[in-house]
Amino acid sequence: MPKVEFIDPKIERQSSEIKLDPIPVNQYSKSIEDEKINFSKDEFLKIYRDMVIIREFETMLNEIKVNGEYRTIPYNHPGPAHLSIGQEASAVGMAYLLDENDYIFGSHRSHGEILAKGLSVISKWDDHQLMDIMKSYWDGATLKPVEKDHGGTVNDLAIDFLLYGTLAEIFARENGFNKGLGGSMHAFFTPFGVYPNNAIVGGSGDIAVGGALYKKVNQKPGIVIANIGDASMGCGPVWEGMVFSSMDQFRMLWEGEYQGGLPIIFNFMNNQYGMGGQTRGETMGYDTLARVGAAFAPYQMHAERIDGYNPLAVIDAYRRKIDILKEKKGPVLLDTLTYRFSGHSPSDASSYRTKEEIEAWQNVDSIIDYGKSLVQGGVCAQSDLDEIKSAVVGKVEKALKLASNDEISPRMDLIANPGAIEDVMFTNGSVDRFDDRIPEVNMLMEENLRVQQIAKKERFGYKDGKEVSKMKSYHLRDGLFEAIIDRFYKDPTCIAYGEENRDWGGAFAVYRGLTEALPYHRLFNSPISEGAIVGTAIGYAMCGGRVIPEIMYCDFLGRSGDEVFNQLPKWQAMSGGLLKMPVVMRVSVGSKYGAQHSQDWSSLVAHIPGIKVIFPTTPYDAKGLLNAALQGTDPVVVFESQRIYDKAELFHEGGVPEGYYEIEIGEPDVKKEGKDITILTIGSTLYTAVDAAKVLEEKYGLSAEVIDARSIVPFNYEKVIASVKKTGRIVLASDACERGSVLNEMAQTISETAFDYLDAPPVVVGSRNWITPAYELEDYFFPQKEWIIDAIHTKILPLDDHTPMNDFSTTEQLRRSKLGV
Amino acid sequence: MAEAVIMPRQGQSVESCIFSEWFVKKGDKVSKGDLLFAYETDKAAFEQEAPADGILLATFAEEGDEIPVLNVVAVIGEEGESIDAFIPSGEKAPAVEEIVKDAPAEEVNEETALAVSKVLPGDKTGISPRARNLAVAERMATDQIVGTGPEGRIIERDIRSALQSQPKATPLAKAIASHEKISLPSKGSGEQGKIMARDVKQMPSVTLSEDYTDKKISNIRKIISDNMYESLANTAQLTLHSSADARNIMAARKAVKAKMADGYAYNITINDMVSYAAVQALMKNPEINIHFMGDSIRSFSNVHLGFAVDAPRGLMVPTVQHANHLTIEGISAKMKELAEACQKGNINPEALQGATFTLTNLGGFGIEMFTPVLNPPQAGILGINTITQQPAILDDGTFGFIPKIGLSLTFDHRALDGAPAARFLQSVVQEIKAFEL
Repeated sequence: MPKVEFIDPKIERQSSEIKLDPIPVNQYSKSIEDEKINFSKDEFLKIYRDMVIIREFETMLNEIKVNGEYRTIPYNHPGPAHLSIGQEASAVGMAYLLDENDYIFGSHRSHGEILAKGLSVISKWDDHQLMDIMKSYWDGATLKPVEKDHGGTVNDLAIDFLLYGTLAEIFARENGFNKGLGGSMHAFFTPFGVYPNNAIVGGSGDIAVGGALYKKVNQKPGIVIANIGDASMGCGPVWEGMVFSSMDQFRMLWEGEYQGGLPIIFNFMNNQYGMGGQTRGETMGYDTLARVGAAFAPYQMHAERIDGYNPLAVIDAYRRKIDILKEKKGPVLLDTLTYRFSGHSPSDASSYRTKEEIEAWQNVDSIIDYGKSLVQGGVCAQSDLDEIKSAVVGKVEKALKLASNDEISPRMDLIANPGAIEDVMFTNGSVDRFDDRIPEVNMLMEENLRVQQIAKKERFGYKDGKEVSKMKSYHLRDGLFEAIIDRFYKDPTCIAYGEENRDWGGAFAVYRGLTEALPYHRLFNSPISEGAIVGTAIGYAMCGGRVIPEIMYCDFLGRSGDEVFNQLPKWQAMSGGLLKMPVVMRVSVGSKYGAQHSQDWSSLVAHIPGIKVIFPTTPYDAKGLLNAALQGTDPVVVFESQRIYDKAELFHEGGVPEGYYEIEIGEPDVKKEGKDITILTIGSTLYTAVDAAKVLEEKYGLSAEVIDARSIVPFNYEKVIASVKKTGRIVLASDACERGSVLNEMAQTISETAFDYLDAPPVVVGSRNWITPAYELEDYFFPQKEWIIDAIHTKILPLDDHTPMNDFSTTEQLRRSKLGV
Repeated sequence: MAEAVIMPRQGQSVESCIFSEWFVKKGDKVSKGDLLFAYETDKAAFEQEAPADGILLATFAEEGDEIPVLNVVAVIGEEGESIDAFIPSGEKAPAVEEIVKDAPAEEVNEETALAVSKVLPGDKTGISPRARNLAVAERMATDQIVGTGPEGRIIERDIRSALQSQPKATPLAKAIASHEKISLPSKGSGEQGKIMARDVKQMPSVTLSEDYTDKKISNIRKIISDNMYESLANTAQLTLHSSADARNIMAARKAVKAKMADGYAYNITINDMVSYAAVQALMKNPEINIHFMGDSIRSFSNVHLGFAVDAPRGLMVPTVQHANHLTIEGISAKMKELAEACQKGNINPEALQGATFTLTNLGGFGIEMFTPVLNPPQAGILGINTITQQPAILDDGTFGFIPKIGLSLTFDHRALDGAPAARFLQSVVQEIKAFEL
């Protein structure tokens, strides 16, 4: 909602019509003769060789899956192998012009793209560059087997390295490019600009946009390709990615060198099937996929269908599209028409298509056709091609021999090294800044109005024994703001975006003051595309930047389900520990607004391995924990409660320090000491617990110890267990619905670790397993202090003269469970 | 009007008694003065008579039960009379539901108020791990504890409150209980019900062959065995042997017999004379007339002389209070009186306490020497043996035999050293030798 853009009703209401530009379809028509000015003989032959390598590599995988052997080498590969036999020209054409600065993101069917991109970069690098990377990658572990007895050139060795590293990865070997933790559908090799391939259809549709955003914001060379399938056009994240990458603000609001479109090509490898569903004619309605580009103004994404069965046609298209991206007129949509002879996977009987159809495409097999055209065009003799073929067979055979050998290519030894996977779940780094350049800001920090306002506030909630008034006190949102602005002035790569982040200052005023401090490219409004908000952040971080995406309401987290559950937590570990994921994702937990705006889903996020989860509830904790999150290299989801953005610091004596400090993620904090019962809370329920503790103390003579979990993942139980050993009793409470709440896991852990000290089972008090009702009825839904006391009375320690008003009996518990409510 | 029969208090320090047996059954008709039941303390056995005529309406004790004194044991009354008012507390607790119902109506909305638990406190035997561990650490039996936790679960506070009401236990008692992995009894036999080692320790039964009969030992036997064991396990006792010229006391005994024929009232025995001699020697050697308290020594200015009596129910040790103030006749008379009470089993428990030193006599069985077992906290016990003829150089310088009475002094080396003990024994020897009526 930038004020500079005036929405004039006179103009908006004018009558007119939308004119679309024609969308080119298969317009390449050059002959080999025509192309001789663009390609040397070697280059023509390299294109052929690369296609043959991919074909042979995948034929080998198919033989193994179907026959259990390739050229008499037996092997059983139980894992996936989604082959792209038939699509080689599309892959080689796509990669031909790209170098290591150009990043490709792929799909589950991307072996060909990995090899094509790798071969392209190998052909562009000199021996030193190649040896350096091969020797340093996994300390030379991937190189060692292929280097032994190798007598050829470094370039030739690098090809062996590429084939072996990829195959070992597919076979889950530790020498694989990702230590075997990625596998067939996720293999990648970032030194060659090959970024993660994605087993979720369309998964790269928004992550790749984040890569392009990284290149733009940090002015890095290169472009980004999202290699996704035609069927992924049915996926929300792909649309969200295209919407995000087409935002007007890139052209209209971003300034200076940052102005202009994102350098990204959405390359739809259109093999015309989504598994068995035929996209054109059955499952989609776009007629020709390229038509979709017309939805996006003003360039219609330069959409074009190209003949993916002719490598030269594809290269031609890329040459033109790369120029467009250099002119900052991205994004680009390419509909690369192709066809896979192989099934979706080896178990696919191709029942959804006819033999005639497959044969018709085999009759125009791009490798055979291209080879013929080279011979006919006088580039080479058939014997040259045969020679290439037999050399490639030898290379593939060598890769298979090495990768299938358990001694040469062992798998991770989880007996000798049980922590091997554990060690790569988090990178646990501490990084001030991800780039050395001076951060771009609009003003000195002390000139910022918000900073000046905060300076006048009381940083501790009590003064002279009295509570400071709301207006004068430093709030939780100020703690968040201080940590964030500090990072913006420290790390030039740090950016933040989400809904209403700029101008409005964030829906809950956390970012108030940042708009003035930061240029557009560092703080901007995103489309209402939660998938893309998180997905792009993942791509941005993966490529080397720090990013703070925001989900305005926790309830919207479902819209970014795949990104939060399948992408954000996975890539550090699936890279074998090479990638870092400094994404600090802010999620605001609502109330008052009913069923779809009041849910605490921290338990859902905590369930997924690979994400850190924090939920600060005081200004001191908010600033310290957010500082720690922003200094780290791991994905952190920060839950914030809208109930307490305006809470002053009531616990930390001395108030919130003005300077920088970190609070270690994973450490709960004892907010109030006590000796008779422990109350452990997550989120704003801390304040409910403190109220309950007061009643317990004054009315029932029970001294309650109140502990704020602060973090959910990781979580150090030491303080909690020490407390339970002391008190013998514990209630756990949070605003999350009780069923499946992470509190139950904590309760169980406490039961197991402090069983002998317990005077009663740990009791969980969560919200009811209902929809969140209207604000006026919330007291019947969210845990109240009376609930905590009643739960103690009924399940832990009957209190004298207490009459419970809420039923916490086990009978009621079982009744509710039986009904699922 | 029904009448309660209570467990009488037998002596000021008695907190509870062991119920021995019923002489009548519930429902029997009894008359005032009929024997109702037998019971015993750790020191003596008693019988209780019916205080009124009527039917035995209820009984609240069974053989082996430990009943706090003044607790109701039985109710006697007319057929059909209510006994509710006499039911001892703890037998039945009111239901929580009733409590809730009793709560003031204006404070509780009937529809929203919830009964905490439909289970009566104590109905469940559940116990929290924390409570269980505390009970184990304190060696407390939990089967009698009424749980006040949810659904009657025994929780920490129940153990803590039981601990407060439970008498203290000696460190030895706790150590034995811990070692044997058994619970402490809820009442002990020590002062103010303090739980002593003897209340805890049960001797293992040894099977020698199948040619045996098992008979449960009496409480007195059990107490004796525990006391003996405790004494030997916990003191540094050793025994000195000596013998004293018995010519004077034998002559005196002869004289007493002669005087009795003339109507003299005091049958002063050799034992009485040796006792008298010992009292004199104790007054001269006060370092053995003590109680050894572990970290302190309690010295007495008077001699309270305990002496072992072979009573039908087992060994008993009555005490002659202030024996140093008594003449030989006084000592003799007192000892007889106490011994008779022991034989009859009606000795006042308080007469079994407070000795500063003990005598034990096995001389009548021809025993020439033995090692008496100390009665802690006393530091000495003198064993009196038989009189034997021993060679000696007589006053006239010739060699001959004289009668000598054997003496075996066991003392606690923790309390005093060998020399003072020997000096005391030597002193006894001299007193006996020089004895005159």
